[in-house]
Order: sequence, then C-alpha cells, then structure tokens
Amino acid sequence: MGDILGIERLNFRYPESPKNAVSDFELSIPEGEIAVLAGPSGCGKSTLLRTVNGLIPHMYGGEYSGDVIVAGSSVKGSSMRDLAQTVGFLFQNPENQIFMFTVERDIAFGLENLGVPREEMRARVDEALRLLRIGDLAQRAPHELSDGQKQRVALAGVLAMRPKLVILDEPTSLLDPKTASELVALVARLREELGTTFVVVEHRLDLLVGVADRLVVMDGGRKVLEGAPRDVLFGDDAEAHGVAIPAVTRVQKALTESKGGRAVAGRLLTPSELASAVEGRQG
Amino acid sequence: MMWLSGGFIFRKGYSFYHRLDPRAKLLNSVLMFVTTLLARSVFEMVLVVAFMVGLSAAATVLKRVARTMAFTALFSGFIFVVNVLFTRDLETSVLYATRFIAIVVSTSIFFITTSPDELEQVMKMFRLPRDVVFAFVTAVRFIPVMMLDTIQIMDAQKSRGLELEKGNLVRRVRNMIPILIPLVVNSVVRSGELAEAMEARAYGAAPRPTSLLAYRARRVDIGVACASVALFALAAYSFYFVIPVQFP
Repeated sequence: MGDILGIERLNFRYPESPKNAVSDFELSIPEGEIAVLAGPSGCGKSTLLRTVNGLIPHMYGGEYSGDVIVAGSSVKGSSMRDLAQTVGFLFQNPENQIFMFTVERDIAFGLENLGVPREEMRARVDEALRLLRIGDLAQRAPHELSDGQKQRVALAGVLAMRPKLVILDEPTSLLDPKTASELVALVARLREELGTTFVVVEHRLDLLVGVADRLVVMDGGRKVLEGAPRDVLFGDDAEAHGVAIPAVTRVQKALTESKGGRAVAGRLLTPSELASAVEGRQG
Repeated sequence: MMWLSGGFIFRKGYSFYHRLDPRAKLLNSVLMFVTTLLARSVFEMVLVVAFMVGLSAAATVLKRVARTMAFTALFSGFIFVVNVLFTRDLETSVLYATRFIAIVVSTSIFFITTSPDELEQVMKMFRLPRDVVFAFVTAVRFIPVMMLDTIQIMDAQKSRGLELEKGNLVRRVRNMIPILIPLVVNSVVRSGELAEAMEARAYGAAPRPTSLLAYRARRVDIGVACASVALFALAAYSFYFVIPVQFP
C-alpha cells in the first residue's frame, strides 16, 4: 500500500511571528497505520495537523513552503470541499464541533453540506451510528450527552464523510481513564474494520503504545524522533524530549539498571507483555 | 426571571400538537394571531383566549402558557391604564389589554411546541440564507453550554472573593463585569474553534446543501391546517355578522 500522507520539507510561519511554527518537516505515513504524534505543548503539533487538513493555508495566512500530499494530491491545490472528504479532523473539544440539536442530524452535518442525497445520507448516518455503537443516542440533544458520548458523536460525524485519513487532536484529554481506553480500543477496531489511517496527537502514551505502528516526536517545530514506538521509547533521547515513557517501559528500565542483565528480556511496552515475560521466567 | 422565560423556550413534548408538522403549527398560530386582531369586543376576545387555553391544555403546555400570561399581564396592565387615561372607555381598554395577552399567547404556543430543529426547517422554507439559519441554529445550540460556562465563571470569581449580591444597583451591575469579560472571551475562543470545525466538515461546499430530515405533511397535518382555516373563517364571519357590535 502507498503512502496516504507525505509531508515534504514543510515550513510554516504565522504572520507576525518571529520564528517558524513548523520547520523542515518530513514525514510519510503508509495507508492503514496508526501513527502517534507526541511532543511538549507549543511544539507545533496543532499547526502541523492543520496543514494536513488544509485549514493551513486555506483558512490561515502565513509563510508556507514545501508541500503536504494527502492521498496523492497536494493540500495547497485542493479545495476544502475535497479535503473534508479525504481528511477527517477530530478536534480536542468535542463540544465545539457538534452543531445540531440531535445526534443524528449532527452526524449528517458534513453530508448535508456536501449535498449528499437523502437516501444515501440516511444509510451513511446509520452506518456511523452502528460503527460507534451509539444507535441509542440518535435522537439525543448535545447537552444530554456525557463527554465520552460527545467524543463518539463527533467522531461519528467525521467518519460519516468516509475519510481515508483521520486526525485526532488529543482525543483523550477531556476523558476519564476508562472512557479514554475505550476510545483507543475503538480507534484500533475502526482501523481493522475500515482500513482508515489515524494520526493521533496524544500525551498518554501508555494508552496507545499497544496499538500504534509509528511514534513521531516533535520539538520546537521539528521532527526529532521517529520510528516504531518500541525503538523510540527504548532509545536514549526520548526522555530528553519530554516524552512520557509508559510505566511498563520505566519498570523494565529500572529493573535492568538495578539487577544488571538479570531483568526480564526483550523491550516491553504494555502490561500484557510484561505479564507474559514474567510468567515465562517463572515457568 | 428564569421561570418567566419558560413561556418561550421549547421543551420536548409528546402531545399530538407537538408532533404536528411545524408548518401546520405556524399556520395555526398566525391565524390565531390574526383572529385576535379581528375581535372587536371583550366577549369575542374571551372566546379567542378560551380557545387558545383549550388548545394549550390539549397540547399539555397549559402550565407554561399560564406563565406566559402571568408575565404579559404586567405589560397588559400598563396598556390598560394608559388606555383608560386617554380614551376614558373601559371596554376598549379591557379589549386592548386582553388583546395584548392573546397575541403573546398565540405566538408562545408555537414556540413552546416547536423544536429548534423544526424552527430551522421553517426558516429554510422561507428561503432565508443558509448563513442566517445556521447562525440561529448555533445560537440556540449553545445556550445550555453558555449557561454552564456562566455558572462556572461565577463560581470561580466567587471563590476568589467576588461578592455578587452586595451593594446598591450600580455596584451590583459593576460586579457583573468580572463575569462578563471571561464569558465573552470564552465565546470568542469557542467561535474560532467552531469555524475550524465547520471548515473541516465542508460547510458551504455545495451550492444546494441537502437535509437529513424530510417534512412530509401527513393527513393529520393537513386536517389540522384545514380545521384552523375553517375555524378562522367561522370566527371572522361570526365577529362581523353574528355577534352584534357593542361599541362604535
């Protein structure tokens, strides 16, 4: 499979700003991957995401050079109309992306804007309700939903447009731990069922290392680390760039330091990996 | 103040009247409105108001309509006093005062039984520009959100020592400033985020956007619309030809 996203020597500077928000950025993401983008606040993650769905340069002015290619076409040369159907964007606060008075009408919002005929729209709304298992919420008003439900409704509205690439901007920041891990499981399931590519900005790496294929770390507008999560997190630089190392990885590193070579073998990321490694030693 | 505003805000209801096509409800309210203008005596006006009260009861919204009436009674009393002073005609003054209540009730019945979704549909029927309709939709959609924001800001400012219920009127109004400024700033930030989310979901992409909801008039809607017209004709006829005019 080819690359769904290609970023080529991208530089972007906001008007009136002395330095670039994104500098010399290069990135390729193959179709069907779950990629996690991490980095300290203000490192340019949000700006980068906005260059992928076209808000930059179509909505925001600024100094733009390089190129962003989504599904084979340049973002600069595509209209917001086309981009909205290729790139789905789940914003941080679900409240501010639910527009309508009922859940099902909100899921239909993007399709109404595109002028999709009613029968097809009905089918796609029902499909989105089913995918996210929120059929029972279809007639609810936004203020009758919990934060986790709002997040699902907003994601359903994004998926109803059948994007090839979905961007999630800190999707768990407003969710409690249980709802957050449910959302991550949902993303993994949608990737399996639909083959959608996901780019997730997330600080809580514990949640995502189990399902992510790629981890990209940004700092000061530049890409500083990239690779399989295991390689990046066991590298020497991850901590220096402020990446939240998952608990299991920290435990294993601590064991290795204190016991020399006698710690559990391998490079572990998730609790289940740790569990089976410990069982293996005992058995 | 909160309980008074209830007279114009929609709440979910399941009566036959709530379920009617919004166009039928609009027609009915407009005709009731016009009937109140046609009534030429207190007796006729009482008939009209009695009809509206009966309708509110059937639509299970009588309590809230009663609130609307209580609220408008204040203004209505003012109208009565002014009229008595200028016309020195008691009957005409009572007529004008009750007419004011009747007018407000006829519109109130429409607004408390019609969901924002249906209002949007009605606005679209009148071919209002999409941006205007959407501005209305988001304004109503964010009322509960803004109310929560306000409560949070008030709590935050109170916990920092702001005393809202102290002092004379000027002081109290000035006390609202630390509530209003964060609220406005919040709303500006929110509207920026909304604009981004609208772009990301192709707002304005198609010259003719479609709609998930289809309003097709059922037999009962057409029946109610015909009944409204018939009743209106009957009222107009009897006001002018059957019930004798009681004042010049």
